[in-house]
Amino acid sequence: MNVLSVNRALTLLLLLALVAAPLFLGWMEVDFWLAVMTEILIWGLFASSANLLFGQVGLLSFGQALYFGFGMYGVAIGIDRFGLGLWPAMGLGVAASLGMAAVAGLVAVRLTWHYFAIITVVFSLIFYFLALRLKPITGGDDGLSFSAPPILDWGSLRLTLSDDATQYWFVLLIVVLAFALQARLRASALGRAFAAVREGERKASLLGIDVLRVRWIAFVIAGGLAGLAGALFALFGRYASATHMYYTVSGEAVVWTVLGGAGTLLGPAIGAALLILVREELSTVWEHYPLAVGALTIAVVVFAPRGIAGGWNLMLARVLGR
Amino acid sequence: MQDVIILALNGLAWGLIIALIALGLSVIFGLLDVINVAHGDFFMVGTVLAWVAVDVTGSFAIALVLVPLFGLLLGAVTERVAIRPVLSTIVLTVVSTHGLGLMLQEGVRATFGATPRRLLAPVGGTVTLPGDLLYDTYRLVAAAAAALALLAFFAFQQRTRFGTWMRAVRHDRETAMTLGIPVERVQLLTFSIGAGLALLGGVIAAPITTVDFRAGIEILPTCFMAVIIGGLGNLPGTAAAAILLAVTEGVVSAVLDPSAARIVSLCLMCAVLFLRPHGLFAGARA
Repeated sequence: MNVLSVNRALTLLLLLALVAAPLFLGWMEVDFWLAVMTEILIWGLFASSANLLFGQVGLLSFGQALYFGFGMYGVAIGIDRFGLGLWPAMGLGVAASLGMAAVAGLVAVRLTWHYFAIITVVFSLIFYFLALRLKPITGGDDGLSFSAPPILDWGSLRLTLSDDATQYWFVLLIVVLAFALQARLRASALGRAFAAVREGERKASLLGIDVLRVRWIAFVIAGGLAGLAGALFALFGRYASATHMYYTVSGEAVVWTVLGGAGTLLGPAIGAALLILVREELSTVWEHYPLAVGALTIAVVVFAPRGIAGGWNLMLARVLGR
Repeated sequence: MQDVIILALNGLAWGLIIALIALGLSVIFGLLDVINVAHGDFFMVGTVLAWVAVDVTGSFAIALVLVPLFGLLLGAVTERVAIRPVLSTIVLTVVSTHGLGLMLQEGVRATFGATPRRLLAPVGGTVTLPGDLLYDTYRLVAAAAAALALLAFFAFQQRTRFGTWMRAVRHDRETAMTLGIPVERVQLLTFSIGAGLALLGGVIAAPITTVDFRAGIEILPTCFMAVIIGGLGNLPGTAAAAILLAVTEGVVSAVLDPSAARIVSLCLMCAVLFLRPHGLFAGARA
């Protein structure tokens, strides 16, 4: 037994538990948690886009909310203004975020570290203020509300988001596919090029890796993942608003990633799950729960600097003796 | 024309205050390699405590003295609890100061309340400037106070032993240590001074802005931009960049509304970052 096989088995168990969750929660009559879990899945996917950039390529982005916003508005505008169905609207949202990332990436990937961090913030702020101003397109402060078209409509077989369990399974399916794609990416030649660029730009370029191009590809993929999360979030809330494009939202993605374990596949989702669960548990009993969330955040980085997943892997390696 | 001059002056006053806050951010960043995302919240705590101090004692002077002192203390405690344990990794400092920022915001919301308030300027009225220009007295006082504090800080860095230590540790931590400089103490006091500068900025700014627990979130990006386009570790550059940013925004807002002015200044920032990625004044420093 090694760390990898234990983690694989656990991931499989987790997947089974996630698939069965609506049945279990329905039996326990705590359906309210289904919406919370859906939200965790979406934010976990969003955090994984920051993790792809930071954990894999070594670029710290504080601007992922921009692409999240493009995904969100893509869906809302597609459904509300163009009358698109659910899947074409999602495609529009993801395409918009990919396109935006492709353009912004041309500039951003030329910079590293602090300069990269600050230019991603600057980009996202520009579009945040634009989104607030362009009322005819984005709805400004009020945002855009819409009613979601059905997922599937084949005569007698009709699946809609209005059923909480269906909505959950739909989000789960997309999020699992997105994580599977990331797992494949890690194992691919491109994934190893990412790691090479992270470990040392000079060394990587001496190995014949086109560093700028590799960074750009990562930037675009990360933009697409954030856009997908934004598209799901818009469908989940039937709503798009500029508040979710502010730089603090991008910051959350970095925080979740680091708390969960930067560079690990599931770390970002674990971090998001931890903080959202704490929020949901505490907010009903204590109005000033963010005090506890802040303290917990500090405690985790002080006592588990590699994050939860990183700490887990270390512990597992020690227990298994390798 | 008069409007433009007044808005430019507003920008100058605000820019000097931002410069003060950004300077705190820059020394913390340059010396400790800490990205302090709670820095805006330090500023916010400064405005809130100024309001409270004036409310309790009725004197702005007391606020001006006590609040920055409290900032030194807050900075020292923060360094011990939330910074030193994670100093080895820069991204951990982002997360831990994010946690701190959450606690500061919520702490203020729980005690001071969520309603934004206004603090009356300690010196009211207007003065007549050359060219028959009527201008708020307090804004001029605030600009002068911020400029004075900036100069005092530069003098402290250049003229005192501790200031020399700070520069030495920033330049080369290992060598400084072998020369017997108490590096850990320098780090503690640097963070403390950085926080103190932010709270001082908060006190000076309190009468010309709204006192609100969200104010820190709003101001943080501007401070970081000043630090980056001023050139990392280039303190006069940081101050100059802060003033430049605020004056540009002030002048542009004479023609366009404030949020459009914000967009223009952000676009300008993109251009600077792209054309001079190591800061606007990188050439001048060498």
